Amino acid sequence: MESTRAITEVILQEAKKSAEHIIQEAQKSAEVMLEKQRQLGVQRANESARLLLKKAESEAELTKLNSIANAKIKANWVILSKKETWIDHVVNEAKKELKILTQSKKYRPILEKLITEAGVIVGGKELEVLLNEQDSALPLKLGNLAKEISEKTGFKTKLRLSKEKPKVIGGAIVRTTNGKVVMDNTFDDILRRREKEIQYKIAKILFK
Amino acid sequence: MFVVLEAFKAIKEKHLEAKRILDEATAEAEKIKQDATQRGTSVYEEAYRATLSQAEQKAIEIKRKTVKVAERDLEKFLSQAEDQAKEIEVKAEKNFQQAVNAVLNTILH
Repeated sequence: MESTRAITEVILQEAKKSAEHIIQEAQKSAEVMLEKQRQLGVQRANESARLLLKKAESEAELTKLNSIANAKIKANWVILSKKETWIDHVVNEAKKELKILTQSKKYRPILEKLITEAGVIVGGKELEVLLNEQDSALPLKLGNLAKEISEKTGFKTKLRLSKEKPKVIGGAIVRTTNGKVVMDNTFDDILRRREKEIQYKIAKILFK
Repeated sequence: MFVVLEAFKAIKEKHLEAKRILDEATAEAEKIKQDATQRGTSVYEEAYRATLSQAEQKAIEIKRKTVKVAERDLEKFLSQAEDQAKEIEVKAEKNFQQAVNAVLNTILH
């Protein structure tokens, strides 16, 4: 009886041991499987993360380049607008001084020269001179100027003062009486015509 | 003879009990594996989300740093431009009349 009990105990003990082993193995296997799943999740996410970070880096680089370009544009704009303001100051001051000049004795020979030059450019013959209100009152010797134009162009020239009075700082507009050929030799138009050249000269002197 | 039969009977009973124990353990092991399989998907997703979330944070940080650098660059360039503008101011004041005279010369001569 004793030996039978011993045998049955062994059978039960072995069964319990095996059962425990089976469960432990199942737990281990489950842990391994879960760890593999976790690692797989990390690995797949890492692939997406790598692309995400690469995209973020290239976007950041682009943002940086854009921002540098914008910063340079803004900086240049600050400098250019400062220069432009000063160039405008100079031009305005020059206009003021031209206005003052038109009220001085030095002005008449200058005006006569501008009329003659314009008369030669339009080719002489029957011409009319347009002057502003103030200059129209000056005692200009138009006959002498016409003679000079005749000599330079080779055409007999007559100059008469137009009733039209342009609102300009000074200088003259000379045109053929039929109005087909016009030469604007006013200070205002010279400034307009030679604007680029003048701005270049101003900048060269002003910012040296 | 009776004793032997009783012994066989006892052994057989224990064998049956042992089999039941093993069957139960096998069933429990099977359940553990099935549970793990079911949990596997959520473990995968959780790990995936956590890793990706870290990367997203890093991406946000990269962009944030870039914006800061860009702001510093802008300040630097603007400050340099302000300095240059001041130099321009000084030079322009000094050469102003000379430039006006040059304009007058261009128009009158």
